[in-house]
Amino acid sequence: MTVNYKSVFDIIGPIMIGPSSSHTAGACAIGRAANSIFKDKPTDIVIHYYESFAQTHKGHGTDYAIISGILGFEPDDSRVPYAIGLAQKQGINITFIEEPGDSPINHPNTAIIDLKNDSKQITVAGCSIGGGTIEIREIKMDGFDIKPKGPLPILLVQGGEDDHQNVTDQLANLTKVNDQKEYQSGKGNLYEYDLDRRLKAHEIDELVKNNNKLVYL
Amino acid sequence: MYMSVAELVDAAKTTKKPIYELMIEQEMETSKNSREEIIKTMGRNLDVMEAAVKKGAEGDGVFSTTGLTGGEAVKLRDYRKTGKTLSGDIMMQAVQNAISTNEVNSSMGVVCATPTAGSTGTLPGVIFTLRDRLNLTREQMVNFLFTAGAFGMVIANNAGIAGATGGCQAEVGSASAMGAAAAVEIAGGTPDQCSEALAMAISNLMGLVCDPVAGLVELPCVKRNAIGVGNAMIAADMALAGLTNKIPADEVIAAMDKVGKGLPKALRETGLGGLAATPTGIRMKEKIFGKASVKA
Repeated sequence: MTVNYKSVFDIIGPIMIGPSSSHTAGACAIGRAANSIFKDKPTDIVIHYYESFAQTHKGHGTDYAIISGILGFEPDDSRVPYAIGLAQKQGINITFIEEPGDSPINHPNTAIIDLKNDSKQITVAGCSIGGGTIEIREIKMDGFDIKPKGPLPILLVQGGEDDHQNVTDQLANLTKVNDQKEYQSGKGNLYEYDLDRRLKAHEIDELVKNNNKLVYL
Repeated sequence: MYMSVAELVDAAKTTKKPIYELMIEQEMETSKNSREEIIKTMGRNLDVMEAAVKKGAEGDGVFSTTGLTGGEAVKLRDYRKTGKTLSGDIMMQAVQNAISTNEVNSSMGVVCATPTAGSTGTLPGVIFTLRDRLNLTREQMVNFLFTAGAFGMVIANNAGIAGATGGCQAEVGSASAMGAAAAVEIAGGTPDQCSEALAMAISNLMGLVCDPVAGLVELPCVKRNAIGVGNAMIAADMALAGLTNKIPADEVIAAMDKVGKGLPKALRETGLGGLAATPTGIRMKEKIFGKASVKA
């Protein structure tokens, strides 16, 4: 069985601005994942909604929630309801598309986010599985097409065998790695680690110190 | 990690520890955070719940931007003052607390999702009513939330808690079951009685659909939390009286998962079926989002 809810605070929490944990707090979390991967200010944001997200995003405040996440806001930030205006003021173009078909990642609460600016472009496919908890099921970045199982936390490391070994050693002291995958592109290798528990801020800092292209979701 | 109600109940009986203590220990193990940090975080969640219970029932109350919901916790507050409630004041206090919390949620106020925002009023509805009924300390209330969370994790990992995948039974049904089980423990019931309360609470809401008008977490979500809290109190009382569900809790959770997967899409948070598809529901959607939003 996949354990998606690893902490009591996944159930009692999050503290959030209403109205929906899956369509507001969860949408914000998918946006935050995209923000963590992009690590830069986008000029263009395109959001593709599927199924329940396509039908009810307007009513649930999904639009401002997902944009607030892309801007890096927490779900209980009082700026969450104003995120779209704040992004537009920064000159970011935003497009929402209600896709008619079934979710390509097989979940009714699906959002696929395209972010780009002059130097890069990414795609992140996430689904909101309830109570503010999300899964990330596909990431396209730097020529890689990454397909994680879904549950967070996920660690992505780009580099060579040395980087792979260093991170593997560091993680061995921290937590269990539930799944590990390797991807290749013209730009080298990327290693995906599905972790058993969330890392603390200082543990992530320690990992980033050795590898600044590391992504923690 | 406790993956079934049976495991949780067995562990409580073998170790003679309360379920909240098992939950705190599990959280310390999985998060590597200290007991103090974990209890402090739960205390913050309790504070947010208390603020929402109060806010929705103060003055004229709170209202959503659409005007579909709001101001009704205040009506209950005033009605209770007459002393003529049919269900008794304890029950109506619980209902007021639940509705107040969900009205705050619909008005884009701050809530603590338990387990979801749509079902956010159910657990506070139970806990702040029991506070007054049983003179609970803050520590006991925080413990209540750990117990509720322990049962909630089992439900979420075995069946899910999203209306879009499991219907409202997965949201208000789960919240109600968590509240029922935690209420039993805090009232002095046994671990087996907690399990029975959970099983009865879910069984009573089995099949409840998710049919939000205009896709908004307003109608019928706010009042569904009234039945969530009422059902939790009733299931807890039944368990404490020694009634049993006959079908064990883990089988009930598995059944809820199957029922949820069998629900048509129109009844899983798409706003296309149930109350959302009534003539009045459709008119409300047209008024809020324009005629183009409603496809023929």
